[in-house]
Amino acid sequence: MSRIWTHPSSRRGFLRNSAAMGLAGTGLLGLANRAQAADTLNYYTWSAAVDTVKAHVAAFEKKYGIPVNYNNAPWAQFRDTMVTKFVGGAPVDVVWVSDSWLPEWADAGWLAPVDGYPEIMKYDADVDDFCNQSMKYKGHQYGLTYYSDYMAFFYDEEKLKKAGFSKPPETWEEVVAQSTKMKQAGISEYPLMLSMARETWLIEFLSALVYSHGGRFVDDAGNAVMADPAKGAQAAMQWVVDAVNKHKIVSPACVETGELNGLKAFSSGNHAFALIGRYRIRSLNDPAQSKIAGHVRQALMPAGPHGSHATVGWMRFHGMTAQAAKDRTRAANAAKLIEWFGGKADGKYQFQKMLFLDIGSGFGVKSLFQDPEIRAAYQKYSDIGMAEKQQSLAHKKDVVAPWFGEWDEVNGTAWQSAILGKSTVADALKTSAQSWTKLRKQG
Amino acid sequence: MLFLAPMLVVLSVVAVFPVVYSFWISLFDLRLTRPRSVPFVWFDNYAQVFADPLFWTSVARTATFTVMAVAAIMVIATLMALLLNEEFRGRRILSAVLLVPWAIPYVADGLMWKWIYDSGYGALNGLLYQLDFIDKYMVWLGDTRKTLALIANAFVWKEVPLATILLLVTMKSIPADLYGAAKVDGANVWQRFVHVTLPALRPGFMLVMIYETMMAVRHFDLFFILTEGGPANASHVLAWDVYVETFRKLSFGTGAALAYLIALITFLLAFSIIRTMGKKL
Repeated sequence: MSRIWTHPSSRRGFLRNSAAMGLAGTGLLGLANRAQAADTLNYYTWSAAVDTVKAHVAAFEKKYGIPVNYNNAPWAQFRDTMVTKFVGGAPVDVVWVSDSWLPEWADAGWLAPVDGYPEIMKYDADVDDFCNQSMKYKGHQYGLTYYSDYMAFFYDEEKLKKAGFSKPPETWEEVVAQSTKMKQAGISEYPLMLSMARETWLIEFLSALVYSHGGRFVDDAGNAVMADPAKGAQAAMQWVVDAVNKHKIVSPACVETGELNGLKAFSSGNHAFALIGRYRIRSLNDPAQSKIAGHVRQALMPAGPHGSHATVGWMRFHGMTAQAAKDRTRAANAAKLIEWFGGKADGKYQFQKMLFLDIGSGFGVKSLFQDPEIRAAYQKYSDIGMAEKQQSLAHKKDVVAPWFGEWDEVNGTAWQSAILGKSTVADALKTSAQSWTKLRKQG
Repeated sequence: MLFLAPMLVVLSVVAVFPVVYSFWISLFDLRLTRPRSVPFVWFDNYAQVFADPLFWTSVARTATFTVMAVAAIMVIATLMALLLNEEFRGRRILSAVLLVPWAIPYVADGLMWKWIYDSGYGALNGLLYQLDFIDKYMVWLGDTRKTLALIANAFVWKEVPLATILLLVTMKSIPADLYGAAKVDGANVWQRFVHVTLPALRPGFMLVMIYETMMAVRHFDLFFILTEGGPANASHVLAWDVYVETFRKLSFGTGAALAYLIALITFLLAFSIIRTMGKKL
């Protein structure tokens, strides 16, 4: 078997030259070169909180005098966009990274560890453990968190009262019992809303169910354990299958319900319980956006028979690219920008606080839970004590690996097949485990 | 020749080069996420595709979708063309209305049908419930027995206008003398349709069949918007397979191989339609 491009630089060179030819043809080469002034930091984010980011970039430029070339791309295309840029050798210094992409990007050599930057590492002590763990890969840390959240269990207090319940369910068995009563009383046809459509959110929903049932997809050594009846995902999957097909408390349409549609369905008052990202509580209790505003409360994730109130957390962080790390000055400037956004700016966690106050997004910084302004804002629509307590029980996704994207396709289909009765729970998990093991061997 | 040179250069850059280059890529194990090694694997990507059971089920699903969709388009478009070929009050308005689905982009079309089919608040459930056809809301796209047919329905809705226009144009070109002669011979309406209209429509049928078959085999947009290949792979067709390989797994080698296989299948289908129907022209 012959090889081409065995060294990244040869292919990157080819792609760079091709791009240069194209740009030269359109007369854009000069513009591109001008855009990449020597001291300018190239900063890429997805298109979220764009105005807030811009304002904070402007403050950074003013403070340090380091120009920043800020770019953003839609979330849905962000991974593809950035991978293409990395492969093509486009100038990128600081980039937003999802925890799901870290192994892939680190193994490819696109991200650089930040262990050598004390100004970044000093924040670890104030960051939730699952966040710190999510930024680490093969013993190195690759960035600094600016946003994190977790899968939460919400309930409609009014519906519970109507059904005669004074407190929310604490176990998944109680969810079945309360839901069955509500169903029989005609309060809701499908009291629990689960989003099981095959989309990027699915793994978060599944992980929350699996963790709260005391299971794992993958053990700490990276072995697939999801098919193991004792410590895998079987109890969780069986519970979902029964909830849909036996108890009929979850709509069979859950397999076509994505996160956003699930949110709409819950906020329109169709359900009593829902698994939704924690940050959605603000819109759920907003009368302009929700029919059940004022009645939505958060409870701890119900526990399975051998489980706990654990849930899954996810996070996003600022990463430094390998190309930025090569140049000492650029790397130092990049570290400053990372700290400005993920750590303290002028002595305060400004960016995370702005994001929370603007759009209600979560944070991995523990001390921010004590911030009076944040507490006051949160108490307007939910219980910050409950939010903090559940966050302390969040675990990182155990399936994040370089082959996660490929495995996720197979796993999502396996869960849907079991829910739709097209395969048994054991077979579905066996398929998922075999796929993991095969992909892991391929490396 | 000198005048043609600029256009030839442009065509070479924008059409010929990508086609040849994508074939070249299909011979490498090119995964963007593993950039350090891109081995030349000859036709291993094709072998890998053929060895994957999901590929064959995707072929079967694509065939089912294509047959359902093209058959429905042919029948509905023929009936619509027959209707619009008659003179009646409001014909022009009906013709204009007919074109509306054609003018809607596929993405908007998909979002509209997603709303219609939604099991919780969809218009389809609302309508059927109001008319007392159902006593509780049904699951549509989430029911694997219905998924493909529902996507085909959305595809047909969008494609019928163009097919109707193509058939109507062919219909308008049928000489009136033929109908006159058939009438003289005592042929009734049905006989005139079977013995005059249908044979004369064959070129239009062939054109519509080739075009719609190509569109159906390669169709991606509705699968992306309505189901993302689900639930449980119920709508995992060939075009979706290419997307997953190329843009989710970022495996450009197998993605390119799959794309070439779709191109080959489309070419063979078009060729066989021309061979079969073209002989009778």
